[in-house]
Amino acid sequence: MQRFALFTGSCQSIPAIQYLHHYSKLACVVLVDAEPTPDLAQLQYWLQQSGIPTISYNKRDDGALIAKLDELAVNRGLVYMFRHKFRSKLIQYFNGYLMNIHPSPLPEYRGPYPLYWQLRNGEEATKITLHQVSESIDCGDIATQIDVPIHPFDTMNCLQQKVSQALPQLVDTLCRLDEQQILNWRKQADQAEKTAPAVEPQQFIVNWYKQSAKQVVDMARAGNVDSGCAIFAVGQDQFQLLQASKVDCQLNGIQSGTVLELDRHRGLIIKTIDGAVRLDVIGTQQGLFDGYRFATLFGLEAGMTLSGR
Amino acid sequence: MEKKQEINESKLGYADPQVDDLLKHSIRTQLESLLKSKLTTSQRLQLLQKSFVEAITLVLNDTKVEHQQLTKAFEAMYDQAVQSMALAELSQEVLTRQYISATGLIMSVQNCKHTIKDVYRIQGYARGIDQAIAGKLQNSPSITILYPACGPFAPLLLPLLSYYKDSKSYTPDQIQVILVDVQPGAVLSLQQLVKDLQLEDYISQIAEADATEFVPDTGIDLLVLEAMQHGFTKEGQLSIAKHLVKFLNIDGWMIPQNVSIRGMMVIGETEFNQQWKQVDYSHSMNMSSEAQQDRIELGELLKINKSTLLEMQELELQDGIKVIPANQIVLPTDVADMSKRIFAVYAHIETFAQEGVGQYDSGITHPRPDTSVYIDLKPKDIEHTHFVANSGDTVQFYYQLSGLPGFVPVKV
Repeated sequence: MQRFALFTGSCQSIPAIQYLHHYSKLACVVLVDAEPTPDLAQLQYWLQQSGIPTISYNKRDDGALIAKLDELAVNRGLVYMFRHKFRSKLIQYFNGYLMNIHPSPLPEYRGPYPLYWQLRNGEEATKITLHQVSESIDCGDIATQIDVPIHPFDTMNCLQQKVSQALPQLVDTLCRLDEQQILNWRKQADQAEKTAPAVEPQQFIVNWYKQSAKQVVDMARAGNVDSGCAIFAVGQDQFQLLQASKVDCQLNGIQSGTVLELDRHRGLIIKTIDGAVRLDVIGTQQGLFDGYRFATLFGLEAGMTLSGR
Repeated sequence: MEKKQEINESKLGYADPQVDDLLKHSIRTQLESLLKSKLTTSQRLQLLQKSFVEAITLVLNDTKVEHQQLTKAFEAMYDQAVQSMALAELSQEVLTRQYISATGLIMSVQNCKHTIKDVYRIQGYARGIDQAIAGKLQNSPSITILYPACGPFAPLLLPLLSYYKDSKSYTPDQIQVILVDVQPGAVLSLQQLVKDLQLEDYISQIAEADATEFVPDTGIDLLVLEAMQHGFTKEGQLSIAKHLVKFLNIDGWMIPQNVSIRGMMVIGETEFNQQWKQVDYSHSMNMSSEAQQDRIELGELLKINKSTLLEMQELELQDGIKVIPANQIVLPTDVADMSKRIFAVYAHIETFAQEGVGQYDSGITHPRPDTSVYIDLKPKDIEHTHFVANSGDTVQFYYQLSGLPGFVPVKV
């Protein structure tokens, strides 16, 4: 009989928890060892209200956790949005059944920010991968993958929610294959073309000299969340670019980053290396504005050039 | 007609939605003044016409007029003109739209309205145009003047025409003017202002058109060209001039008659800061001789007049960008502090018959520093927009006819 412990620190895992709880396969939820965030606090409250047992993970020692898992007869571990690297002792406890849910078509986009980089790179679809937890992060053998399309307007929150909603389907597939003892673990390729590392501060700044219109658009939607916003500079000041749209531009000989147009309906349009983008939603210390109002309030005029990087 | 205007004016309050919020915000002083004064329509029109006549009378005067007196008269003209603009009930869309067209920057009507306060630009042009008109009318009973990209107030001609009407110098039978602007808001403002100034008889056409494509239906005697910004950049001045010079009559004149665009290497602090610390306002008369001596003049980059325009050859580059070959210059070798200097471009405008607009007299003749040019110095991070050269190098300048026109230096 499958008895799961779900390792998480986010409400994004709730659909998976609900699925396991509903089918009486959930023994407990192991919560991250971290400063409480609103997301974690909300999850804790929900678990308490739902009467689901929880265990707190201890970054320094697995002994107590393993004992507790054993006491609860846990034999399957599922990890999603947990952010701790597992030690070998815990991996061994599960004997190959500690499984991580990674929202990318592994081996592509290994790393802590797979959804951010997939959005930023303009991917049109992703996969949610269920793989064994191994000593090397995101490198374990794969049990199953399910497809998740990415809408061209999806932001980080949209995509996180889509992945979250798809978790029951993934867990259901796992449980069925496991019960029928036909889980087929396949090895991942060592090399991948794309990775999903932590984002350096410089990488949040729009580089008008190098980025295409689509890259700016995708960078804005990837960062359209509480943190990780795309930033653009006007002189010494920096502003958040929360949404941008690609627009046609036939003009030649204009430097990238130049303000091409300011119009109440067409908005604020900026030249890129391959065309132009409209800056749809801009975050400032004074509030959120559309491009037209932002430009009017902050004194942008057609012909001005935004800082390149 | 008067009744409709009274209705408009009665609605003209600080919080009145008939005037767009942005325009209301930017001209609230003038609107409040209009409301408080409780003028009848005819009184307002009188004040408007008087302000136009007074401003131009001062600049046509051969005796020296104090700067403060001039600016006061031009402010009064501006105040009256924007009140007229408010009555045109422009929507925010037409008021604020600004964009880069294929041939140059199209400023918003909202931003263009300030040109009428550019005292010495209007002085240099008005005095030149006045003499050109007098010269033309000596040999011809009537003339046609074309003023492309004239903006919402056509400031180089409407004040002058008001003066002619008031002083009865020239009648509409002698002078016919075609005004052209691509901005619908400018055309609406012009229609209102021409009506308010009662100059309809002088104006044969107010056309909403791109000046680089406009085809007049009559020969032109005087072509008045203004659309330019400092350093002869951004606006489509050259494309407009090249297109419209073809429609000048064989003895027609372009105003300005000559534009000389020159380059120089300056110490930025001296040129743009120190020399203006002790003077009340920037003007060619107030330039410091020390700062001028400190300049390294590089010579003329481009000369623009009717003859050079007619023979100007365009080259088309691979990416479709058109350029006009300008002059070559040799960077001097005997300048010890060349690496500390910045390249700047300025225009000298001769409107007509010794009249002109000198450096610093106006926004359009204000020297423009170009920080993408590095002489005897390498930028920390070289971008493709940077131009790097050394003393002794020969530099060929091209004038790029793109959406943001300007000079492009190339090392020979």
